[in-house]
Amino acid sequence: MAEVWLLAAVWVGLALIAVLLAIKLRISTALSEIVVGTVAQLIIGATAGTAFLGAQQPWVSFLAGAGAIVLTFLAGCELDPQVFLARWKDATLIGLVGFLAPFLGCATIAYYVLHWSPSASWLAGVAMSTTSVAVVYAVMLELGLNTTSFGKAILAACFVNDLGTVIALGLIFAPFTYKTGVFVGLSAVVFAILPWLTPRFFHRYSNRVSELEAKYLLLLLFGMGGIATWSGSEAVLPAYLIGMVLASTVGKDHILIRRLRTLTFGLLPPFYFIRAGSFVSIPALVAAPLAFIILFLAKSLTKFVGVFPVTKLFRYGKEEGLYTTMLMSTGLTFGTISALFGLSHGIIDQAQYSYLVATVIASAVIPTVIANAFFLPRHLLPERIAEPDREPAAVGSPEAL
Amino acid sequence: MLKTIVVAFDGSEQSHKAFSLGLEIAARFQATLLAVGVVRLPEPAISIEVEALLDRGKEHFAEEFSRLREESEKRGVVFDSHVAVGHPAEQIVRYAEDNHANLIVMGRRGLTRATRWILGSVSERVLRYAHCPVTVIK
Repeated sequence: MAEVWLLAAVWVGLALIAVLLAIKLRISTALSEIVVGTVAQLIIGATAGTAFLGAQQPWVSFLAGAGAIVLTFLAGCELDPQVFLARWKDATLIGLVGFLAPFLGCATIAYYVLHWSPSASWLAGVAMSTTSVAVVYAVMLELGLNTTSFGKAILAACFVNDLGTVIALGLIFAPFTYKTGVFVGLSAVVFAILPWLTPRFFHRYSNRVSELEAKYLLLLLFGMGGIATWSGSEAVLPAYLIGMVLASTVGKDHILIRRLRTLTFGLLPPFYFIRAGSFVSIPALVAAPLAFIILFLAKSLTKFVGVFPVTKLFRYGKEEGLYTTMLMSTGLTFGTISALFGLSHGIIDQAQYSYLVATVIASAVIPTVIANAFFLPRHLLPERIAEPDREPAAVGSPEAL
Repeated sequence: MLKTIVVAFDGSEQSHKAFSLGLEIAARFQATLLAVGVVRLPEPAISIEVEALLDRGKEHFAEEFSRLREESEKRGVVFDSHVAVGHPAEQIVRYAEDNHANLIVMGRRGLTRATRWILGSVSERVLRYAHCPVTVIK
C-alpha cells in the first residue's frame, strides 16, 4: 500500500507543479498538466524507468478516466437548448461542416500522405475534427459577443461539432455486436427518462450535506460509461449526451454545477491530463516532425475550407467568417480524449499518439501565441489595422515601465 | 477639464495606490470615478476552468468594489465599476474608450525581464493604445 501512497504523492506533486506553472505563464492548467506529464515521463523514464510513473496502474487509469467523463459531462451541460432551437439551422450546418471537413480531410491525409492504417487514419480524423467550446466562449466574452445572436449561433455550432466528434469516436470503432444494440437501446431509454426524473428527484432530496446530487450524477455517468465500454464504445459518449440532455435542468442550476466543479476539479482532471501527457513521446516527435506539421496544416486547412464558405452562405461578413473559422480550429479536451482512446485500444501507436496530441496542443496554442506576440486590441482591429504604431499618449518612455 | 477618470483595479497594493490617486483627482475635479477589474482567462481555456475563474473573479471584484464605493462616497465622488473578461490591457483601453474617459490611472506589476518578455506589460500596452492620457503608479 505504501507504493500506492507514494505514487499518488508523485502525481499530486506533478499536478501542483503544473498549477504553479500555469499561474506563472497564465496558461490553462490543462495545457500545463499535459506538458508536465510529458516532461515528467521523459525525465523519470530516462532516470528511473518508464514504468515508474505508473500511468497504466488501474487506479490511475480510473481517476484519469473519471476526469475525462466529468469534464465531458460538464462540457455538455453548458449547451443552451433555447439558443440552439432559435438558431438551429446555421448552428447545425456550421457545426456539421466544422466536424465533417477536418474529419474526412485529415483522415484522407493521414491515410494517403502519412500512410497510416485505415483505422488509425479514421482516428486521426476524429481527433482533428474537434473544436473547443471553451476557447470560443472565452473570446466571445472578451468581445461581448456571447449575448449576441452571432455569438450564440457559433457557440451552438461548437456543440454540434463536438457532438459529431463524440459520436464518431463512440461508434466508428464499435464492433456492432448485440452489445452495441443493448447500449444504444438503453441509452435511448435513459436519455428519454432523465430530463423528467432528474428535476423531480433533486426537488425531493437535494440540498443535503451528503452531496446526493453528485452521487446521482456520478452513478449515471459511471453506469452508462461502463455499459458503453462493455459494448466496445467510449465512456465519454454517454457522458456528453447526458450533459446535453440535462443542460436545461442540471446545467441551469449554477450552484449545483459549481459544487460538482469543486468536488472534481482539484483531483480528477489533473490525473487525466498528466496521464495524457505522459504517453507523448518527445523522441518520436523529434524523429519525425513532418508528420506533426502535416497534421497541423491539414487540420487548419480543412477547418478553413469547410467552415468559411458556410459562414458566407449565412451572409456572415468577411471578418465574422474568418473569425468563426479561426475560433473553430481549436480543441484540447476532446482531441486528447480521442487520441488516448486510440492509444489504449491499440488503434494507433505511441508515435502516432504523440503527433496527434502535439497537433491538438499546437492548434490551441499557436493562434494564442501569435495573438500575444503581435498584440493589438481586437476590438480596434477594423479601424486601426493599417495604422502604424502610434506614439504613447502619455509622456515618458513605455520601455521604462 | 477631467470629467471621467478610469482606475484599473486588480486588488493589488499598486492598484490600491492607483485608486487613491484617482480618487484624489476625481474629488478635486468633481469627476466621475470608474473602476474596471479584468478577469483574465487562461489560454487556451477549458470549460471547467473558465466557469470557475469567472465565478471567483466576479466575487473578488464585487467585494473590492463595494469598499471602493464606500471610500468614494465619503469623498462625495460619483463611483461606478465594471468587471470585464479578457486581456487586461485590451479591456482597460476598451472600457476607457466606451466611457469617454479623460484619464486612466493604473499601477504596474514590476515584472521581471523574463516575465515581461513572456506575458508583456499591461501598463506598456495601455500606454500605447489608450485614447487618453495614462498615469502609471510605481
